[in-house]
Amino acid sequence: MVINDVDVREDPAWLKKHKTGKGQALEAPVKNAVDKFQLLPAFLKVRGLVKQHIDSFNYFVNCEIKKIIHAKANEKITSDVDPNYYIKYLDIYVGKPSLEQDYMVESITPQQCRLRDITYAAPISVDIEYTRGKEIVSRKSKQGQGGVVIGRMPIMLRSSRCVLTGKTEAQVAKLGECPLDPGGYFVVKGTEKVILIQEQLSKNRIIIDTDSSGCVAASVTSSTHERKSKTNFLVKHERIYVRLNTFTDDVPIIVVFKAMGMESDQEIVQLVGRDPRYAGILTPSLQECSSLGVYTENQALEYLGTKVKVMQKAWMKQTKSKVDEARDILQNVFLAHVPVKEYNFRQKCIYVGVILRRMLEAMMDPSFVDDKDYVGNKRLELAGQLIALLFEDLFKRMNSEIKRLVDSTFAKPNRSTVFDVAKVIRPDMLSQGLEHAISSGNWTVKRFRMERKGVTQVVSRLSFIAALGHMTRISSQFEKTRKVSGPRALQPSQWGMLCPCDTPEGEACGLTKNLALMTHVTTDEEEGPLINLCTTLGVEDLSMLTGDEINSTKAYMVIFNGLMLGVHRRPNWFANTLRLLRRCGKIGEFVSIFTNPKQRCVYVASDGGRVCRPLVIADQGISRVKEHHMKELKDGFRTFDDFLREGLVEYLDVNEENNTLIALYESEATSRTTHIEIEPFTILGVCAGLIPFPHHNQSPRNTYQCAMGKQAMGNIAYNQLCRMDTLLYLLVYPQRPLLTTRSIELVKYDKLGAGQNATVAVMSYSGYDIEDAIVMNKSSLDRGFGRCIVMKKASAPIKKYANRTSDRIVAPRLIADKEGCLRVPDRAQILDYDGIGGVGEIIRPGDIYINKESPINTRDTVPNPMAIPDSAYKPTPMTYKGPPGECAIVDKVLLTSNDEQQFMIKVLFRHTRRPEIGDKFSSRHGQKGVCGTIVQQEDFPFSERGICPDLIMNPHGFPSRMTIGKMIELLGGKAGVLSGKFHYGSAFGEPSGHADTVEAISATLVKHGFSYCGKDFLYSGITGNPLQSYIFMGPIYYQKLKHMVLDKMHARASGPRMVLTRQPTEGRSREGGLRLGEMERDCLIAHGSSMLLLERLMISSDQFVVQVCTKCGLLGHHNHKLRMSFCSTCRNGENIATMKLPYACKLLFQELQSMNIVPKLDLAEA
Amino acid sequence: MDNVSYQRFPTVRIREIKDDFLKFELRNTDASMANALRRVVLAEVPTIAIDLVEIEMNSSVLNDEFIAHRLGLIPLTSERAMDMKFSRDCDACDGDGKCEFCSIEFTLNVKCTSDQTLDVTSHDLVPSDQQYPVYPVGFMERAEYGGYEEDPPEQRGILIVKLRRGQELKLRAIARKGIGKDHAKWSPAATITFQYEPEIHINEALMETLTLEEKKEWVDSCPTKMFDIDANTEQVVVVDAEAYAYDDEIIKKADAMGKPGLVNIISREDSFIFTIESTGALKAADMFLNAIEILKMKLDAVRLSMETEENDDQFGELGAHMRGGL
Repeated sequence: MVINDVDVREDPAWLKKHKTGKGQALEAPVKNAVDKFQLLPAFLKVRGLVKQHIDSFNYFVNCEIKKIIHAKANEKITSDVDPNYYIKYLDIYVGKPSLEQDYMVESITPQQCRLRDITYAAPISVDIEYTRGKEIVSRKSKQGQGGVVIGRMPIMLRSSRCVLTGKTEAQVAKLGECPLDPGGYFVVKGTEKVILIQEQLSKNRIIIDTDSSGCVAASVTSSTHERKSKTNFLVKHERIYVRLNTFTDDVPIIVVFKAMGMESDQEIVQLVGRDPRYAGILTPSLQECSSLGVYTENQALEYLGTKVKVMQKAWMKQTKSKVDEARDILQNVFLAHVPVKEYNFRQKCIYVGVILRRMLEAMMDPSFVDDKDYVGNKRLELAGQLIALLFEDLFKRMNSEIKRLVDSTFAKPNRSTVFDVAKVIRPDMLSQGLEHAISSGNWTVKRFRMERKGVTQVVSRLSFIAALGHMTRISSQFEKTRKVSGPRALQPSQWGMLCPCDTPEGEACGLTKNLALMTHVTTDEEEGPLINLCTTLGVEDLSMLTGDEINSTKAYMVIFNGLMLGVHRRPNWFANTLRLLRRCGKIGEFVSIFTNPKQRCVYVASDGGRVCRPLVIADQGISRVKEHHMKELKDGFRTFDDFLREGLVEYLDVNEENNTLIALYESEATSRTTHIEIEPFTILGVCAGLIPFPHHNQSPRNTYQCAMGKQAMGNIAYNQLCRMDTLLYLLVYPQRPLLTTRSIELVKYDKLGAGQNATVAVMSYSGYDIEDAIVMNKSSLDRGFGRCIVMKKASAPIKKYANRTSDRIVAPRLIADKEGCLRVPDRAQILDYDGIGGVGEIIRPGDIYINKESPINTRDTVPNPMAIPDSAYKPTPMTYKGPPGECAIVDKVLLTSNDEQQFMIKVLFRHTRRPEIGDKFSSRHGQKGVCGTIVQQEDFPFSERGICPDLIMNPHGFPSRMTIGKMIELLGGKAGVLSGKFHYGSAFGEPSGHADTVEAISATLVKHGFSYCGKDFLYSGITGNPLQSYIFMGPIYYQKLKHMVLDKMHARASGPRMVLTRQPTEGRSREGGLRLGEMERDCLIAHGSSMLLLERLMISSDQFVVQVCTKCGLLGHHNHKLRMSFCSTCRNGENIATMKLPYACKLLFQELQSMNIVPKLDLAEA
Repeated sequence: MDNVSYQRFPTVRIREIKDDFLKFELRNTDASMANALRRVVLAEVPTIAIDLVEIEMNSSVLNDEFIAHRLGLIPLTSERAMDMKFSRDCDACDGDGKCEFCSIEFTLNVKCTSDQTLDVTSHDLVPSDQQYPVYPVGFMERAEYGGYEEDPPEQRGILIVKLRRGQELKLRAIARKGIGKDHAKWSPAATITFQYEPEIHINEALMETLTLEEKKEWVDSCPTKMFDIDANTEQVVVVDAEAYAYDDEIIKKADAMGKPGLVNIISREDSFIFTIESTGALKAADMFLNAIEILKMKLDAVRLSMETEENDDQFGELGAHMRGGL
């Protein structure tokens, strides 16, 4: 990391403050630390936890979509046939989510969409101007609704277009939505889909790297609206080449220079730099160029022309010469993002010069090589940007469709009516394109040859935290299968931006990341004004300067979003002035200014996708945020934005952090300190924030908990009982943790907890607690500990068929029993008169819950489709399938229809479960374990106060796991119970008072008459004698995980077999057998237990009796009528032997026979 | 050998007795006896609790089995429990709640008609049988308090569910006799515990070697405040020996001060201090008396089987032990 001492003295604000006298600056800074914690809730109030998604979507809907339709290539559609014809887009609007039903437009809520399986989408409408016949017509907007609807845009929940924005909690609740739900996802066809944040390497930036052979290489990924290209620079045989997809071969860099009009070698070298060593390294390249005989621009272009890949497109007429083609490539493909106006390649030359210089520097000093994994070189692509890509593609496709339609209409010689384009625009393509991409997660943009899979995921609603954690997840573009450690490793620059704990184990380890609590992801910002501002502040334009001047030691190059703007002679003044302007709010708060003295550059960035976070500004180590500011915040006179506007707090991105010296606490600040952290625990993300005292744990334990917190059962949302999810796990009595953290309060985990505070005794008991198993108290279970509800959804569509018949639901048909009375069949007992299971009825496996009947004939036209006789229907009932022996309850029935008038019935089944042996539990410290045994309370140890644990955990769980945090949680929880208040355990919170110290907790314990170390004197419940040692006992928050024995246990004696092979089926869902695999088979072979092998592999599997002809060796058959066996080949039954072999073997023989291979059995007398 | 009697004569001295609280000393016996009593109170003293719920109407936010579970855990006055029959042993009925010997029927019928949230509590559970009434705990005392809102919280009954306007809960519940071994709802004890009585001997001679400050320091080191310093004599006195939690803190402190043996604490292994708290289903004292009754019955069962030859086999080797090594 480069630490550049920013000269504060140049900061005018500082000067003003310290003008009074020199002596003042020498005074020791007053260091009474201000509690800045309150900034955090204030920050989350304005930003929210998923603001990055919402901001990005809002930016797309409000700005980017307008830019797309006004782009030169999209704005106007003309006809090839009629030159006078045009359609011009004037404006575009994305409305409020609504649905047209029976020609009525109704606004819809997300909850309706979830229940009805429809898409939460809003109409996209445009204002257009076009010619109709001879007149110019325009369709303009009325009340924010454009003239013509071109499609429907799925709307992100809680974005600016969502019905939930700006509503109070009560209003949100009225719409059936949970007020604590963060939003940031879409509802598409009833399923909630989140577009994962995609991590990518920066676009339009020079990355110096080394290739596999250790040579320096540079690469630039250019991205503009029109084009995406990748340009590589590499060193081969000490010469520098350019590699471009459109060239068949690597081309020498000097040739490229010459082709761009820089014919003089001296000029080239000057452009690269004045260091004499540069010329030395460049010599071989220069020599190669002259050996190729390339001296002039034209020669160079001709040379490049020969290297251009020939496009085999028959329909394209070869109009351009090779030279033109090469020039076009240099203009449009080679470093596509650097603008070239009227074939003036000057700017591109300078750009290449800079690349070359940085390559040469890297050749001489490897420390100049860029780190690809450095977070500052990464950009995060969010929902808005991804949808923008897709939208533009679909929009272009729609335009070309319209153009095709227009052309074909005008091509017809005689038209009866005047062609009106507004009537032929079909909105389906856009709607379906967007809907399909979000629901399938396949992002295909042909234009950029982009094809990504798994961009969207179904929001995990296992627990509240799982859903929240899903919104902050970042998926990397990096291949999961490659075995490289670099991209997976924890990067120091991740500090404060990405959570160091929350990453999955296994193949995606380190590639899937999560945002930290205070991270913000920027959106694009207007470039024009910023460029103007830079020029006003004294950036000298490049076109006025020679190569020598550009590279002069005095000047720093100013690079704006990857483009060279010019040079500045006072870079520090320039940077500080820009920062000052940012702190005043004159330029966007997310603009980053970063001076890099090593590269002698000032980087100004305003592009989208950078991660940044807020920090308190300090002047010479003295925080600008003072006590009175915090008081005003507390009293509600101040918001986070005020802090930002007044320049007390600012956002820094990863690059700019390099120019700062950030103190963790105010007390640690020195005079060189420029910023102070708001709170150190904000380096963790949402999931890791739940862990109490994570800084006392071994680090992988926190990672494990991050994964397990997402599997914990609890409350999902306030509207959890109104939802119809396919699978829902709820806890009957969820609690808020006794030992909380600040993060828990900030993310509202205390309102939607997923676990219970269990009194845990750390001791060994009964032997059923080995390997992390836990012993549970039966009475605790009786009283509701760990009790959970599992809800499963089943739905049945009422189909309509082509012949206008449809499925129907009828009351159960009565059947006569033995005595002749008409009775409801047993399987249909729970049905109501409407033929649907009654709510509250107990349902057993095999019971019918929807008595559906389908017409037998669904194809031929029927005279009266609504009144066909009963006999024309066949029963197609829906039966409940569940674990045998267990019964569920019909919880809810929903009758609804979707936007295509498809009627459907959804039924929710509820199953309440109490913990049983084998259910999985976990504390918040990555310590999972199954329930080993359940013991009566009277057998449990008890203290002389009458306290009896809920749970016994084996102490062997501690030494190797080193989860000290769990021990402190136990102590803190015990102290909390005794003193009647919640104790805190925020990460790194001891110095700032957000975590209680062990000393303080011990003092509380002693005050209430307990041992300071949390140990209690227990008596054995079995004998009544005191236990030999003191037992560490206290409350720990335990989570019940979704893995339950009931869903997993499986055994079979005999059961179903596969039709083809007659072998037992496989898998629990098919009631399959347990396989004796090859390795087990090998053991038995080695052991020589042949009869067991025979029994396992044939007799108990697919034994089959065959008739074999001993003469021809082929299989015969048995005629049951004649009671004789025959050989079909020999046409007699004389030499038939009967034997047993696996059916699979017989099948193999027959299959071989079918491909003309004849296996013969040669039988010998046994 | 045979004539040696191991018979002891345990004594009980009651220290404190309330309806729901009992503290007494049990002397001249050993841990097996004390623990047997504790275990019987917890697991085998019968009480009455709701066991079967028939829900007629439930439009509350909680689902049927949730409410049924909550109803089950409500303690009911169980004085009758000892005289009642277990539903499984009852010959007079098939256990559907129409039987006076084994079951008690309750009804609950509440509907919220106001805009305020209505708390459905255990007071809304009405026993339908008026002959041998069994009530939810605190049901009778309810009459002393008029309305619901201003009552002290402990008199408002046990909350079952809250209803908003229009919601309704109507059900029939059948309470049965049962024991804590089957389900914790039948356990009459909220707390039952005992401790060995500690005997504390202060080594006065050694204590005199301490200064007043040292004494204070030593006394304060005990988390449970067993000792105090007499203001007049400046001597360390035992204030509350039973507060001692056997945590060794005081002994460790004495060792740390360089005075090992300053105090000698031994636990008397033949006397116990019992603490019993009741859920309200039974009076604490009744609970304990019932426990003795049941323990006696259990011992009788053992003795009976001991006397009958044919039952010998059922105990196997244990039988030989019981017969005294024959």
